[in-house]
Amino acid sequence: MNDLFTDEIVRAENLKKTFTLSRKQQRVEKTTSTRKVAVDGLSFSAYRGEIFGLLGPNGAGKTTTLRMLSTLIKPDEGDAYIMGHSVLKDPQKVRDCIGFLTSELKLEGFFTPDYLFDFFGAMHGVEKTVLASRKKELFGRFGIGAFSQVKVSDLSTGMKQKVSLVISIVHDPDVVIFDEPTNGLDVLTAKVVTDFLGELKNMGKSILLSTHIFSLVEKLCDRVGVIIDGKMAECGALSDLCGGKSLEERFFEIYRGIKGDIL
Amino acid sequence: MKLLALMKKEFHRFFHDPRLIVTILLPGIVIFLLYNVIGSLVNTQEKYDYKVYVAGDAAYAQVIKAAVEADGSGSTVELVFAAEEEGKAAVQKGEASALLVFSENFTPAAGSSVQIWYGGSDESLSFYNLATAVLQGIAQANTFSVEGHSFEPEENFAKMFIAGLLPFLVVTFVFSACMSVTLESVAGEKERGTLATILATSVKRSHIALGKVIPLSCISAIGAASSFCGVVFSLPKLMGADLTVLGGYGFGSYVLLFLLILSFVPLIVSAIATVSTLSRSVKEASGYTSVVMILVMLVSIVSMVVTQMGDWVIAVPVLNAVVFMGKILGGELAVWQSLASVAANLVYTVLLVWLISRMLSSERVMFGK
Repeated sequence: MNDLFTDEIVRAENLKKTFTLSRKQQRVEKTTSTRKVAVDGLSFSAYRGEIFGLLGPNGAGKTTTLRMLSTLIKPDEGDAYIMGHSVLKDPQKVRDCIGFLTSELKLEGFFTPDYLFDFFGAMHGVEKTVLASRKKELFGRFGIGAFSQVKVSDLSTGMKQKVSLVISIVHDPDVVIFDEPTNGLDVLTAKVVTDFLGELKNMGKSILLSTHIFSLVEKLCDRVGVIIDGKMAECGALSDLCGGKSLEERFFEIYRGIKGDIL
Repeated sequence: MKLLALMKKEFHRFFHDPRLIVTILLPGIVIFLLYNVIGSLVNTQEKYDYKVYVAGDAAYAQVIKAAVEADGSGSTVELVFAAEEEGKAAVQKGEASALLVFSENFTPAAGSSVQIWYGGSDESLSFYNLATAVLQGIAQANTFSVEGHSFEPEENFAKMFIAGLLPFLVVTFVFSACMSVTLESVAGEKERGTLATILATSVKRSHIALGKVIPLSCISAIGAASSFCGVVFSLPKLMGADLTVLGGYGFGSYVLLFLLILSFVPLIVSAIATVSTLSRSVKEASGYTSVVMILVMLVSIVSMVVTQMGDWVIAVPVLNAVVFMGKILGGELAVWQSLASVAANLVYTVLLVWLISRMLSSERVMFGK
C-alpha cells in the first residue's frame, strides 16, 4: 500500500453477489446453470485522496461491485463500508456521501441541465445558496452554461455525459464512484473527464472507478484491483502490481495464470 | 423539501409539455363535441304528433306550438284547451303528451308561472324538453317561472339516467386519465433509467412514491374533470336529460360526491403506479393495467345492474365509490357510508404507496432483468 494513503474511506469485506440467469442468458453464457456468481468474495480498501481502479474484462464483476457500493443492489454475503457507514445497514447515509455515475443511470430528456442540477441538488438536500455557487462553478468548469437551457434530449452524447458528471457530484461528495467514466465519449470529452478526476483527487476526494482501459488506469490510478471471474486476482499500488512491466503485459500475465488461454 | 422537489418535477413535466396537456384535456372536448353531434343526429330523426292539454292562457300555448313545429323534425302539436284536472288525467293515462298550466292572468313577467306536466314516455319527455327550452328562452328576457312536474317523480328519467350511468362514466374517465399520465411517469421513467438516477440519491423511497402519486392524482383529477364536464354538458343534447336536475342536489350531496371522487383518484393512480413499478417497460405496464381496467369496469357495471348491496360494499375499493355516488345521485344521502368509503379508499391508497416504496427498495423489481 502506498504510504501516502492511510485514511480508509471504503472497505469491501468478502462481497458476494449471485444472479439468476434466464434461459436467454443461459444460452449467451453457454451454461445450463441457472445461477451466475457475479462477485465472489471480493475484499479491498480505498483511501482518502486516492484513485482506486477496478480493472477487468467485461463480465468480471466490476459494475456489480460498484452497484453494491453505491447501494443500488445488496450483496448476498459480506458488507461494505463507505466512510464507516454500512451499505446494508445505513444505505441512506452511504448515498449521502457518495456520487455515483454509470451509463445505466439516465437523465430525463424533457428537462434542461439547469433544471436537473437544481432538482438533484434538492434530492441531496443541498441548500439553495450553496447549490447556486456549485452550479456556477461546475457549469463553468465543463462549459455547460452554453447549453444549460437546452433539453437533455437535444444534447450530444458528450454534453449529456458532462451533465451527468456534474449532477453526480452536485452535493460535493467525499467519495466518487464512476463506472467506465470515459465509455462512449469522444477524445475531447474523455480528456475533460479524466482531467477532472485528477482535480477531484487533488481536492482530497476518494475516487473508485471501473474500467477495462489500461491507459486510463496508468494515467489516473494510484492503486488498482484486477478482477477476474468476480474474484480479486491482484490488488495493490500500480507500481508494485506492475513490477516494472506495462499494465497491459502484467494484466494478461495474471489472466493467463487464472484462465489459461485468452480465447 | 425533497418531497416538494419531486412533486414539483412531476407538475413541471406536465404543465410545460403542451402535448401532455392536450392529451389530458382532449377527451373531454372530444366527448362534448361527439355527443352533441350524435345527439343532434338522433334528435333530428324524432317526429312526434304531440297532443297537449292547455289550461289558462292560449296565446303563449300557440307560441310554443309554433316553435315546436318549426324545429325541423316535422312534429305536429295539437292543442286541447281544457280544465287542469282533465288535462292531468289525460297525461297520466298516456292519452296526452303534456299539460301546460298557465297561471291566472298570465303575462311574461314576475309573479306569473307556467307548469308543465308530463309523463315517462319518450314523446312526453321530448315535448317537455322542447317546451322548457322555448319558455326558458322567453323567460330569459322576462322573469316568470317555469316549473316541470313529472307524473313519475320516482322514476324521473334525467335523475335515473344520471344516477345510473354517471358513476360508471366518472370511473371510466378517471381511470383513463390516470392511465395516460401514470404509465408514462412511472413505467416510462423506469424503462428509460431515469428512476434509477433518483434512487442513487439519498431521498427516501416513500418520498419518491408520494412524489409520484400526489401530483399524478392532481393531474388525473384535471383530466377526469374535463371528461366529466364533457359528458354533463352534452347530456341535454344527447339524451334529452335536463341539466337543471343537477341543481336539485343539495350542497351536502356535492360535498360527498366530491370526496368520493377525490378518494378514488389517488387509489387508481396508486394501483396503476404499482403495476408500473413492477413492469420493466411501458408496454408491459400497459398490459397489466388493461387487466386492472377490466376489473374496475366490471365492478362498475355490477353496481349498475345489482341495485341492492349491503354495507359490506364499503370495504370494496372503487365499488364503494360507484355505489354511493349512484345512491347520492339517486337522491339518497348516504352520509356515513360515503365517508367510510372515502376512509377505506384512503387506507388502500396508503397501503399501495407503502407497497410502491417497498418495490422501489427491491433490487429484483428495480434492477431485475
